[in-house]
Amino acid sequence: MRVGSIAIGRSGDKGDTLDLTLVALDDNGYAHLESQLSQAVAQKAVSRVMPGTLTRYTVPGLRALKFVVDGALPGGVYASLHAGLHWQKAATWVLLDLEIDDV
Amino acid sequence: MDFRVVAGGAGFAGDRCDPAVELAASREVDALALECLAERTLVPGLRARAANPQAGADPRLERRLGPLLPVARANGCRIVSNLGAANPAAAGRQIAALGARVNCDDLRVASLTGDDVLGMREHIKWNQDISGELLGAHAYLGATSFAAAIDEGAHVIVTGRVADSALFSAELFPILQDHEHALAGATAVGHLLECSGQITGGNFEMPDGSSLSAWEFANLSFPMAKVFADGTAEIHLLDGKPGRLDALTCTLQLLYEVHDPGCYITPDVILDMTQIQFDEIGPNRVRMSGARSKGQPTHLKVSGFVDEPGLIADIEIGYAGTYALKRGQLAADTLRLRLADIPQEHLRIDLVGIDSTLGAASLTSPTSLPEVRMHVSARCDDAQMAQIIEDEVYSLTLSGPAGGGSVRSERRANLAVVDGLIPRERVEPELHWETAS
Repeated sequence: MRVGSIAIGRSGDKGDTLDLTLVALDDNGYAHLESQLSQAVAQKAVSRVMPGTLTRYTVPGLRALKFVVDGALPGGVYASLHAGLHWQKAATWVLLDLEIDDV
Repeated sequence: MDFRVVAGGAGFAGDRCDPAVELAASREVDALALECLAERTLVPGLRARAANPQAGADPRLERRLGPLLPVARANGCRIVSNLGAANPAAAGRQIAALGARVNCDDLRVASLTGDDVLGMREHIKWNQDISGELLGAHAYLGATSFAAAIDEGAHVIVTGRVADSALFSAELFPILQDHEHALAGATAVGHLLECSGQITGGNFEMPDGSSLSAWEFANLSFPMAKVFADGTAEIHLLDGKPGRLDALTCTLQLLYEVHDPGCYITPDVILDMTQIQFDEIGPNRVRMSGARSKGQPTHLKVSGFVDEPGLIADIEIGYAGTYALKRGQLAADTLRLRLADIPQEHLRIDLVGIDSTLGAASLTSPTSLPEVRMHVSARCDDAQMAQIIEDEVYSLTLSGPAGGGSVRSERRANLAVVDGLIPRERVEPELHWETAS
C-alpha cells in the first residue's frame, strides 16, 4: 500500500533544511506509519532524490510524523538546479508515494 | 475570559489582496496581520535601498494597503505587517502618506527598526563559512519589541524582519495572562495563521485525491482566531465563507516548517507543540489548546544573504505530437553529449512531465505523452557560459530531434541564504511614529 493512502502530507523548507510532515487519518494508521516509516526507511527514500541527513520526530497526540532533512537543499532555494523555483513543495510525494506493508 | 481576534490577511509577499479586505470589513477582527516577507524576499529590497535610501519597502505595499486602509480604519481593525522589508522606517512614512490619500487622515503608523544587524556582524555566529559578499543580515525580532505600539494605539504597525508569528501575538500581549504558556499559545496561533490559505484548505489534499473545488480555491477565505487570555484559541473562518478548516488542516499547518515539534524556537518563546490538541467545535471552527513554553531563547536567529559568484541558467524546450516523449528523451541525450565537459554536479537535465521535480523518486514513466518539455539548468561561472548553454538548447531546433520549440530561458543570481545567531541583548529594536495629515 501507498503511505499516501492513509496519510496526508506537506513539505516546507528553511535555508538548506527540508521538512516533511505526514499526518495519519486515524490511530491505526498512525501506529502503522510509525512502525513502517522508521528513520532508516525514510532516509533511504529521500536519499534517492536529495542529499542530507534525516531526523524523524513523532507527535502521537496529533497522529503526525516529522522528517527533517538537514542539508537537503544545498545553498537554499535559489541555488537549486531544478526547473523553476521551489521544487521542494512537491517533495512530500517522495514519502506519500512510498510503498509499505499493508495494515 | 478576555479575548481578542486576530486574522491572517497575507501569507507571502505576492498573496491575494482581497481576502484581507473581507476580513477587515467583517467588524470581527481586532488585528489583521499581513505576512509578506519570506527569507529571500528581503534581497530585492536590500538592492533597492542601496540605490535609494528611501526605497527598500515591499514594492506591493500601496497595491495591498490602498484598498485595505480605509476599510480597516472604518471597522476598528489594526494592521500589522512586515511590509517594511528592508526599510521599515521609509515604509512608515509611505503608509502615512498613503493614508492621507485614501482619507485616513488621523492614521497613526508605527514602524519598527533594529532587525538590520549587518553593522554588528562581529557579534553574529554563522553556522557555515561565508565565501561571497554578505548582502544583508537581519535578526528575527519578537513581539516584545513592538507590543508597546499596541498599547499606544497604532492603527498600522510596519516592521522589517520579525518572527512571522509575532505579527499576530503582539496584539494579544495586553490580554494574555501572566504565564509563559499563554504566550506559547498566542505564538502557536500566529504560526497557524501566518500562511493564510494553507490552513483553510489550500495546499491540502486528502488520500483519495479530493480537495476544495476550483471555485472554492478561487474564493478561499483566510483564517482568523479568537484568542483567550490563557493562550487557548478558536481558529475559524468567517461564517459561511468558502474553505476547509478542521483538525487536519490545523495539524499540517502547525507542523509546517517546524523541525523539532518539542522545541520550536521563536524570539519570544520556545514553543513545545507536542501537547497541542485540536478539537472540532463547529463548522470550520477548531479549538486549540495545550501549547507549552520551554522558556525564552538567549539568542535571536539571523538570516544572511550571500551574493555568490556566477549564475544559474534554466532553459526548456518543448516537443509535441506523436513520439513527443521519445524526441524529448533524444534531445536530453543529445544535450548531455554536447555539454559533457560541464561538471555533472553543476548540470541537471531532465524532462518536465516525467522527472523534473522528484527526479529518481518520480513515478514510473508512461510510454508516450501528448507533449513534453526538456529542461536543463546549469551553474555557470558567468553570463557568457549561460549564453553558451542557452544557445546549445536553441541549436536543438536545427540540429536536434524534429519539431523542438516553445523555448524559454531564465537566469537566476547565485544567491545563498545563511543562518546565524546573535545574542538578543545586542539587538536594539526601536519604534518610530508617523501620522497621516
